[in-house]
Amino acid sequence: MSFGTMGIIALVVYMGVLATIAEIARRARSDGSPSDHFLAGRDLGVVVLFLTLYATAYSGNSLLGYPGRAYNSGFSFIMATGFMMSIIVVFHLLAPKLRAVAVRESFVTPGDWVRYRFPPERGNPVVARALVIAIGTLMTLALVNFLLAQLKAMGLVTAQVTGGAIPYEAGVIGLAAVILGYETVGGMRAVAWTDAAQGILMLVGLAMLLGWILSEAGGLAAMTAAVEKVRPEAVAVPDAATCANWFSSIALLGLASVLYPQAIQRVYAAESARSLQRAFSGMAFMPLVTTLVVTLIGIAGIARIDPGSGIASDAVMPVLLSQWAEFGGWSAIAAVVVFIGALAAIMSTADSCLLSLGALVAQDLLGLPRDQPKTTKVGKFIAALLLLSMIPIALQRDITLWRLIEIKMELLIQCVPAFLLALHWRRLDATATLAGVVAGTAFSLGLTYAEIPRIGGVHVGVFGLGLNGLVAVAGSFFRRAA
Amino acid sequence: MRARARTGLLLAIAALFVVSVPWYRKTGAPVEIVWGLPDWVVVALACYVAVAVLNGLAWLLSEMPNEEPRAVREDEAP
Repeated sequence: MSFGTMGIIALVVYMGVLATIAEIARRARSDGSPSDHFLAGRDLGVVVLFLTLYATAYSGNSLLGYPGRAYNSGFSFIMATGFMMSIIVVFHLLAPKLRAVAVRESFVTPGDWVRYRFPPERGNPVVARALVIAIGTLMTLALVNFLLAQLKAMGLVTAQVTGGAIPYEAGVIGLAAVILGYETVGGMRAVAWTDAAQGILMLVGLAMLLGWILSEAGGLAAMTAAVEKVRPEAVAVPDAATCANWFSSIALLGLASVLYPQAIQRVYAAESARSLQRAFSGMAFMPLVTTLVVTLIGIAGIARIDPGSGIASDAVMPVLLSQWAEFGGWSAIAAVVVFIGALAAIMSTADSCLLSLGALVAQDLLGLPRDQPKTTKVGKFIAALLLLSMIPIALQRDITLWRLIEIKMELLIQCVPAFLLALHWRRLDATATLAGVVAGTAFSLGLTYAEIPRIGGVHVGVFGLGLNGLVAVAGSFFRRAA
Repeated sequence: MRARARTGLLLAIAALFVVSVPWYRKTGAPVEIVWGLPDWVVVALACYVAVAVLNGLAWLLSEMPNEEPRAVREDEAP
């Protein structure tokens, strides 16, 4: 049996499993309210919560973008393990306080927090609404970007796993339709339960791939020696700009990733505080078994893939898997499992993005009430519309997954004062926060459009956050004094 | 007591992040291979393993109240 045929069979079986889970989730629905659809009735236990957090955090970016980046950068991309760990550290500043308020006030979206913290009746109602819209817009743009990255990765992996029998374009469109189907039918329950299955598949796949790469290379020391021979700078101590970029990535990814709307909604959806604590405690270790593994795979690619071959950085992982599959027999079967694991990771992130997008636009941008089934219907419709509108963009293949991650984070990080600062500093003022968001976003986007993504290795979004925070704090003091 | 222990753990984590980045090493300095990896990578990884352990512990020590949904008043907009 050819690799492509095995891939198609595995894909069909995987789709069958997803459809079954979606149907079980549909039957478990209670009242069709936004809380039931978007937060699974706030009933996620520790195991499902952990696996859905895991599958959502590790996406197509992690499985395709990170190996590509490690292939280009060498060992300095070990920074990825650090910045993925910083996310779970920064959650200490967000989750405990936010969850308590969220449960008490029955929040569904991130905008519910902004509305609660900066109520229109205690200040200028126009400013309060503008702040909700500004935060909602930044989060929507970041989610659209994230979903776009997943669509691109889905097309890439599907084409590889089926040996080209299902082309990139058909993979993007077909799998987008599958996600839309089970997300619409089963809501957060379907997303969380499929995430759980996908998380397990991803872990198994990655462990198998690393095992093969290390055994093929003759162990870690032989792999490092081979990399040093081909590209000595990949092993050398990094320069000052790379070290600055390392610190900047820890700050950018750590601060911005906790503000993913889908992450915030999982904090809301936990069945208890204890479940959330235990899920995060487990998540603290996951960069060691996921990010570190994909980084080592990308570094191993330096010795295995000829730099003159001209392959795109996002294709490093698929190329390595294809090399593995060429051995035939069990190697080909294992390579198919890894491909499906990668697809699972990508789809689990895409479905979470899609679910959050619907809730975010319906409630935070359009201002629909959070306790009515009509809001759920509008949310589903908007999610479908956004997904369809993104497919043509995903068919363009001229931007790397890593650059998409950076742009998304530079937008999300501008929401930090409205959440992390607002949770811990009572004096923060709505007008000053809005001014900070506008200033920080304008600064970051302006430099990004001027094609200045970093200054001295530090992301412009981090400088933008500095400006944003300064305006928010100074403005709050000034307005209080006035 | 738990809160103080958690704060101490978070401060130690911050210090580990600073040490994990090889800013204190000279660019292009000779690299030794330790356990199959460049020495500066081993230092970074050791820091991240320690961060994982301390952070896992900090989460178990965190105090998160188990709130109940507030009853909505009849005259209150949703």
